[in-house]
Amino acid sequence: MRKLCYILLLVAAVATAQERTVAIDGVTIMGTRPMKDIGLQQTKLDSVALKQNVALSLADVLSFGSSIFVKNFGRATLSTVSFRGTSPSHTQVSWNGMKINNPMLGMTDFSMIPSYFIDDATLLAGTSSVGETGGGLGGAIKLNTQPVKQRGFNLQFIQGIGSFKTFDEFLRLTYATDRWQFSTRALYMTSANDYKYRNHDKKENIYDQNNNIIGQYHPIERNRSGSYKDLHILQEIYYNTGRGNRFSLNAWYIGSNRELPMLTTDYGEQSDFDNRQREQTLRTVIGYDHLRRNYRIGAKVGYIYSWMAYDYLRDPGNGIMTVMTRSRSKINTIYAQADAEYHLSDKWLFSANIDAHQHFVISKDKNIILQQGGTGIIGYDKARIELSAVVSAKWRPIERFGVGATLREQMYGKEFTPFIPALFLDGVLSKRGSVILKASVSRNYRFPTLNDQYFLPGGNPDLKSEQGFTYDAEISFKVGKKDRYTLSGSAAWFESYIDNWIQWLPTTKGFFSPRNIKRVHSYGVTLKASFDAKLHKDWRLTLDGTAAWTPSINIGEKISQADLSVGKQLPYVPKYTANLIGKISWKSWALTYKWCYYSRRYTMSSNEITLSGSLPPYFMNNISLEKDINFRWANINIKGAINNLFNEEYLSVLSRPMPGINFEVFIGITPKWRKQ
Amino acid sequence: MVVAITLLLTAAQSCMKWEYGTMEEFRVSESGLFICNEGNFQYGNATLSYYNPETGEVENEIFARANAMKLGDVAQSMVIRDGIGWIVVNNSHIIFAIDINTFREVDRITNIASPRYIHFVSDTKAYVSQIWNNRIYIVNPKTFEITGDIVCPNMTMESGSTEQMVQVGDYVFVNCWSYQNRILKIDTRTDTVVAELTVGIQPTSLTLDRNGKLWTITDGGFAGSPYGFEAPALYCIDPESFTIERQFSFRLGDAPSEIQINGSKECLYWINDDIWAMDISAERLPVRPIIEARGTKYYGLTISPTNGDIYIADAIDYQQQGVIYRYSAEGELKDEFYVGIIPGAFCWK
Repeated sequence: MRKLCYILLLVAAVATAQERTVAIDGVTIMGTRPMKDIGLQQTKLDSVALKQNVALSLADVLSFGSSIFVKNFGRATLSTVSFRGTSPSHTQVSWNGMKINNPMLGMTDFSMIPSYFIDDATLLAGTSSVGETGGGLGGAIKLNTQPVKQRGFNLQFIQGIGSFKTFDEFLRLTYATDRWQFSTRALYMTSANDYKYRNHDKKENIYDQNNNIIGQYHPIERNRSGSYKDLHILQEIYYNTGRGNRFSLNAWYIGSNRELPMLTTDYGEQSDFDNRQREQTLRTVIGYDHLRRNYRIGAKVGYIYSWMAYDYLRDPGNGIMTVMTRSRSKINTIYAQADAEYHLSDKWLFSANIDAHQHFVISKDKNIILQQGGTGIIGYDKARIELSAVVSAKWRPIERFGVGATLREQMYGKEFTPFIPALFLDGVLSKRGSVILKASVSRNYRFPTLNDQYFLPGGNPDLKSEQGFTYDAEISFKVGKKDRYTLSGSAAWFESYIDNWIQWLPTTKGFFSPRNIKRVHSYGVTLKASFDAKLHKDWRLTLDGTAAWTPSINIGEKISQADLSVGKQLPYVPKYTANLIGKISWKSWALTYKWCYYSRRYTMSSNEITLSGSLPPYFMNNISLEKDINFRWANINIKGAINNLFNEEYLSVLSRPMPGINFEVFIGITPKWRKQ
Repeated sequence: MVVAITLLLTAAQSCMKWEYGTMEEFRVSESGLFICNEGNFQYGNATLSYYNPETGEVENEIFARANAMKLGDVAQSMVIRDGIGWIVVNNSHIIFAIDINTFREVDRITNIASPRYIHFVSDTKAYVSQIWNNRIYIVNPKTFEITGDIVCPNMTMESGSTEQMVQVGDYVFVNCWSYQNRILKIDTRTDTVVAELTVGIQPTSLTLDRNGKLWTITDGGFAGSPYGFEAPALYCIDPESFTIERQFSFRLGDAPSEIQINGSKECLYWINDDIWAMDISAERLPVRPIIEARGTKYYGLTISPTNGDIYIADAIDYQQQGVIYRYSAEGELKDEFYVGIIPGAFCWK
């Protein structure tokens, strides 16, 4: 039993790498700092942060809970994230170890990841991502699910009802013993999503009897063609042998049917067309971990199937919807991974990891009539293997100082990227206040996506990998007083250069084609602070905030003499962002306030502020109030949320309307079964 | 708590400000040049610019400034008829009619599926070509209504493409570009396609010379296209017999486009990386360009009908205000000025 406890402790300290501090009277002292985390700059979002309400996507959580920039094309519409002024495809995303970036596009749509389906998320900025994956020129996001802890059979059901005919239903069934844990989660989200907004981009005319315009006004419109129906099902099975072996199975199904909202500048009639995107995705990972006192080995295999459809139909006037665009893509990915960690002593940790993703992609973008008659399809059918291997050594000669080195190599198709090296440094400057200094440096490469290479028309098989060079440093502290308060904070400085940045540009033949053209220098400072205090007997206050200053400057050569983009901030990357989540609770009541700020975002590479050349800064405020009611037979949670509290008219992307003030109510029930 | 209250107050007072909404007065009576700046597809940032060749003054975003609203998504083309400017805004599914002196909206034709160009047959009839649609709309410019359509043969909605239109007598000729290889002949009396002529892959543009001959230039498609990939060519077509009279082939991989003609209609111009010029009576393609590219991404071209000056639109990186270079007919740079994002089409006032 003692051995089992030891192994479990090792799992906690090494495998999951959770860092904990222990508060005692006076000043907080540090707990074990996992060697694996030496030099890593990471932000962890635990289930409290992730499970605020069932209607939230991970994009919503990241907007208010991190300094990552979320580019949001509308409510329940494409949402991409980027670290430190890089592009969305520079953010690598893994789910239970398996990379889930779309291999065709390189990016991940975070509006398709419900936060209730993730139990912990780790944001790894810049160099810190190298140990997890290659190609994270901005960083990486690790998403994981965890076995349930509560023994016996449990059920949780949440019903959400919100503005714009929005309904969210969440059901979770779990069963757990000492060895086995089963969990089934299902989430069904539907919405007409037809919020009203004043269309500042458009005017409606008022005519006299002779058809002369005698007046104009900005119309109040609804978000047209924005409805969605998303179904997510997540099945998990874990088996722990009790002898340091753990097996896991995770399977996540997504069925999505979303209309694509009309632009604010669209004068078409909604009833005349159907513009829709559908997706069926299944992600499955089977894992095995073997834990011993001084080593751990693990293996995973996985499979992703993803079918995506885009249809644009229009009524030509005869009342029959006719296809104008019909594109389909099908992705099959087979994944395998093996990794190992070995503690040579309490001063040395060695680790290695190798993973393979074999993609099979069929992209059918357009149907045409051929010159000789018959029909043809514009698209591509390609397979590509992606291999990535990494070795790492961490050394902590004394308790207060540690260094680490990581070396990664990647292969895609028949091409190899150059080696990706990373160095880490970690030192405790002061035990009092847990003042820790971290620093790291790395070179990184991101290889082109399948669309970059093969998309028809325009794919460019001669593209080079994007190259990044990053160095950063962070100083952090943590203080507190037992049962009174904890206060932690950090300040990080970073600088990175990205060469051969791939950009899709129009060609004279009317289609886009990618090229390695840009050189970007991004740098800046990110600040984080967290405060948790017991104010009075039943009162508790928590505050979590971040602020970032992230210039991201084009330092490439001028394309031509007239090019005004050199030395300018990249489009759609804000220089300043900030957010804050404050929560005050009293007994079983809790009031949460969320606030975020984005500075001006340029929409032109020349940073011209013309009438349509930039997006003004905006603040966003959300508030929610919840109450837990404990009956003998069940726990009931009632929550009311107000989003966009001040009914701000704002845009995240040009011509994409965002909702004004809106409301949601959630009722959750967790029955209490007989004691197990 | 103090922090929270402060933030609340700050946030409440700091909502996003809309930076347009007032209507400016314009009054320009001299001749000039309108420039349609497409903007980025799906971003609704198309704009309209106006250039006075006499003074060299340029006014940008004139539609938005005059009307306090945006022009829309992808301003494809513009035509002037009887003091009204007709701006075809493709992905906004609209054609705006503006006063060409005040730039104020006069009226609009809405709900057009995917308009590209407008051609006036008479005061009460105009054709609107489309992409990804197999019909050419018939509209009434007096009532601003769609009155009918012309279904084009051998096209589906998905593969449909009709572009620029040129009229010779009672017939309108239209080039079919995207995954097409034809010129269609439409009888304006019956509004039907009466003949079609196969040329090379993807004829991009169409013009008429002083001898009444049609000229079109193909881009040849692209490598890997199931529709085919071939050397582009310049074609001279006799509209009477509707046959190809002459054909000039480029190299495989070239991408010629934007065929234009000067005021006397005897010299052709086009873009093929550089700017090229050729007399309509020439026996072969020129060996040297009239204006060389210098890191530029030439995207639009027009020739002054009065003095033969050559105006070239450079989209630079397609994400910033493009620049217009104005050259003399002899190829000397006379002026340059910034306009909007992706300047693509011109319209002489």
